[in-house]
Amino acid sequence: MLSRWIRLNSERIRAVLLGAISLVLFLAAWHLLTRYRVVFFVRFTNVPSPIAVYASFVKAIHDPHFLMHIALSCRRIFLGFSLAALVGVPLGLVMGRFRLVHEAIFPVAEVLRPIPAIAWVPMAIMLWPSNEQSIVFITFLGSFFPILVNTLHGMSLVDPVLVRAAQCLGARERAIFREVYFPSSLPHIFTGLTVGMGVAWVSLIAAEMISGQYGIGYFTWEAYSLVQYADIALGMITIGVLGLLSSLLVRGIGTLVMPWGRA
Amino acid sequence: MSTVEARPPQGHVEVRNFALSYETIDGAVSAVTETDIHVKPGEFVSIVGPSGCGKSTLLNAVAGFLKPTAGVVTVDGEKVNGPSAERGMVFQQYSLFPWKTVRENVEFGLKMRGMDRSQRERAARTLLGLAGLEAFEKHYPDRLSGGMKQRVGIVRALATGPKVLLLDEPFGALDAQTRVIMQQILTNMWQRLRISVLFVTHDIDEAIFLSDRVYCMTARPGSIKAEIPIPLERPRQQSMMMSSEFLALRRGLMSLIREESLKAMGGEINDSAMQGLNIELHGHSLAEVL
Repeated sequence: MLSRWIRLNSERIRAVLLGAISLVLFLAAWHLLTRYRVVFFVRFTNVPSPIAVYASFVKAIHDPHFLMHIALSCRRIFLGFSLAALVGVPLGLVMGRFRLVHEAIFPVAEVLRPIPAIAWVPMAIMLWPSNEQSIVFITFLGSFFPILVNTLHGMSLVDPVLVRAAQCLGARERAIFREVYFPSSLPHIFTGLTVGMGVAWVSLIAAEMISGQYGIGYFTWEAYSLVQYADIALGMITIGVLGLLSSLLVRGIGTLVMPWGRA
Repeated sequence: MSTVEARPPQGHVEVRNFALSYETIDGAVSAVTETDIHVKPGEFVSIVGPSGCGKSTLLNAVAGFLKPTAGVVTVDGEKVNGPSAERGMVFQQYSLFPWKTVRENVEFGLKMRGMDRSQRERAARTLLGLAGLEAFEKHYPDRLSGGMKQRVGIVRALATGPKVLLLDEPFGALDAQTRVIMQQILTNMWQRLRISVLFVTHDIDEAIFLSDRVYCMTARPGSIKAEIPIPLERPRQQSMMMSSEFLALRRGLMSLIREESLKAMGGEINDSAMQGLNIELHGHSLAEVL
């Protein structure tokens, strides 16, 4: 029984083992580099060791301030990203379906798109009355364009034969939109959402570091100012974990929504 | 179940003085000219012709996807003004909705018509049963073989009870054995439903085996070159394809199409010119030698 299970899942087991080994090696290398304060082009003199980071982690999870930083960042991500999805997806669908809308809006989007969300920070501070709003705005901008562009791309790939098939089964404009264009674009919409979630975190952390009060980006920057080196690494790792979890969440929702795609 | 029961024959398709051309930079290019065809209620009619002759164009105009440049398409006296569920269509590429299960695909037309969920589920199950697909109702199309996909395609087109079934080289992508089975299934369904069928194919055997009548089209710009009644008795068996009657029909159609195919390719192959052309390359490139 067990040997059979091992044989059937051998590739998966190998992947898990290799992954674990590589993580352990990474931690060991980190430990040794900081333990012996290696200076070889880069300086590990002040870099906290994994043990120190673990210690500050244990302390931090009992600290309501740290948890509040995390909660605030998550709230900003949730607001900015949701707004981007709520605006970007419908706009992309409408632009993809109606040429006139596309021709009118696309040039503006193309001009604004290359501007990195971080470059919007001064403008956002001027535009929005509160700091909180400008940070959410920057998070929104970061994820908006990947979502819009990927939705548009999905719409441009809709198979015209499927539209014809729907038409001669009696589908009208609205039904074709709902039953053909939308589901056909969904895989690309979710690609856009996944990419958009990543860029949302990038933008959020930058905005928090520059203009923030609270938030995990602010926490990381503050740790540097206060010379709490272990907290810098803790902040970085926390950002990484949060980014990973939110991407997984988007992907998980995607597989739930699109049961026809191969897992 | 009212959707699949026999009813008084309907589905009289008429195409009169039909022409269709495309606008290009160099002017209008004619795809189909001076074409008249008809399908009587309950009749099975095929269109064959060399590739590019406009047979699919003609079918797409009957479906309502293309507007004729001249002439008119009517079904039971009513002018065709765009696609509608009264003309069901089966495509060569199956074109099942990949995000819908087999049953949901079959239900689609009924859903568009506003039938409630439980009713259309029942109708879809019955139809899938007729096609031997009940075990696959919950599968997504990408898990099915080509033959199964096209069976779903046919069932989906029939579910709304169309007056006419239009098929655009539906078995062109299938292997020979599957194709024979599919022809049998289509014949069975057609005989049960007594529906009018307009069938486009480049396969002469298929056209003769299935049809009451076959239209043969000329090379581009396409028009009707000949109309051939197929007097073979029904129900038709595979073995009939060896009968002298069948073979005679086949020979006749073959020579008609061969003529047109050669025209489409720009005339007979010039044998004497080929013999005069005796190029020896001796390691040179063709461009150098010429």
